[in-house]
Amino acid sequence: MDNKPIINRSIVFREEFDEWAILFYPDMGTSFGLNPVSVFIWKHLDGEHTVNDILIKLRKQCEDTPDDAINHIEGFVGKLIDHGFAGYEHHA
Amino acid sequence: MPDKPVRVTKTPKSLELAITNRCNLRCTYCSHFSSEGDTGEDLPLERWLSFFEELNQCAVMDVSIQGGEPFIRQDLTEIIDGIVKNRMRFSILTNGTLITDEMASFIKSTGRCDQIQVSIDGSTSEIHDTCRGKGNFLKSVDGLEILRKNGIPVTVRVTIHRHNVFDLENIAKFLLEDLNLPGFSTNSASYIGLCRQYAKEIQLTHEERYFAMTTLLKLSRKYNGRITGDAGPLSEVSMWMEMEAARKKRMKNLSGRGCLKGCRGVFNKIGVRSDGQMVPCIQMPHIALGQINHERLITVWQQHPALNELRRRMSISLDTFDFCKNCPYIAYCTGNCPALAYTITGMENHPSPDACLRKYLEEGGKLPDDGV
Ligand code: SF4
Ligand code: SF4
Repeated sequence: MDNKPIINRSIVFREEFDEWAILFYPDMGTSFGLNPVSVFIWKHLDGEHTVNDILIKLRKQCEDTPDDAINHIEGFVGKLIDHGFAGYEHHA
Repeated sequence: MPDKPVRVTKTPKSLELAITNRCNLRCTYCSHFSSEGDTGEDLPLERWLSFFEELNQCAVMDVSIQGGEPFIRQDLTEIIDGIVKNRMRFSILTNGTLITDEMASFIKSTGRCDQIQVSIDGSTSEIHDTCRGKGNFLKSVDGLEILRKNGIPVTVRVTIHRHNVFDLENIAKFLLEDLNLPGFSTNSASYIGLCRQYAKEIQLTHEERYFAMTTLLKLSRKYNGRITGDAGPLSEVSMWMEMEAARKKRMKNLSGRGCLKGCRGVFNKIGVRSDGQMVPCIQMPHIALGQINHERLITVWQQHPALNELRRRMSISLDTFDFCKNCPYIAYCTGNCPALAYTITGMENHPSPDACLRKYLEEGGKLPDDGV
């Protein structure tokens, strides 16, 4: 919970007019479609926010954030990490 | 239900880059060497490299490296390095004759190459070399083999014309059985670029077109869809048979038809000529949209009037053209490629006469039976 995930800088983040976005991993040729909430989360994967911090910010932004949102955020971030789109910084 | 409007992306997803206007061959149906974009000037490396940084900021995902012949550029490795450094993937269109083992191994090492498309137009030197020049069949096949040996995904493009149309079965056997390629794509010599000078000797007659359509349908079934058609007889026959079936069934319309909807390229990609002019598509070099590194790509993409006009083309109904007057296929037709419409009629906003089913039938062309 205290870990602060950070995006993989080689990932291409394409925002579209309708607030959806695409993440593209050029080394693998894979891509992910992001809805506006996922875009919000992605933008906070800056190594400064824990998943919990992101939830707090999300609640401020959208009033109808569901009670189990933390599970969704963790699931989404976990998926990004599994596919190499994000990770954690290691400090020696 | 009305068709959903096609949405324009914020920035182009892909670009076609003509990195050179030079080529070691002079194939008689090449789309270059007699068009507005053929200025003889190749942009220096540094100009491409700074443009790639802009592509990175615009989150462009991939580029198609084209020419001329891309492998003629001595600094191709630096160009590819620039593409890789700026987080893009790439593919290359080539005649295959200049590929070396060293270059292939470099391309493989980048891990970013989606595919290299090699043009092979015959099953023998005699046929391939008719339009591409003596000795080039063996060189192209060698190039293809070098790429495969290095583990690079390859595809072959067969351009169909009067000198190879009766060799299609052998070509399919050669590529799919002897070379064991996963597949190949087809198009045909069209009224663009150099081909306009040699149209009579090169472009298929209606009888040859019919022969090509029937043969390709048969072959694509025999080889389980390993033969595809982005343009030319195989793509035409599927479109035309669908239109004819709709007419026979008296269908009200077909989804996405009835207007000039033949080109979706302008909604997600843009081209750059070898002199650095941005163009809507490499096949429309006459519409110069602005020079790279001078005009911002995002501004051109979102605001250029000529580009937006091409996008609006989708809403021009075919029944507004005299050319289409009283045509029974209006509700099932897309008017096809604007680039071809332009080279034939001088207007992009016009159906392409070359892909007009009514004209083809009126001039004695036939469609294959459903059960080919
Ligand atoms: S005249 Fe030709 S281009 Fe026009 S609708 Fe008919 S088939 Fe299509
Ligand atoms: S102009 Fe023609 S060749 Fe170019 S993208 Fe459109 S349909 Fe394809």
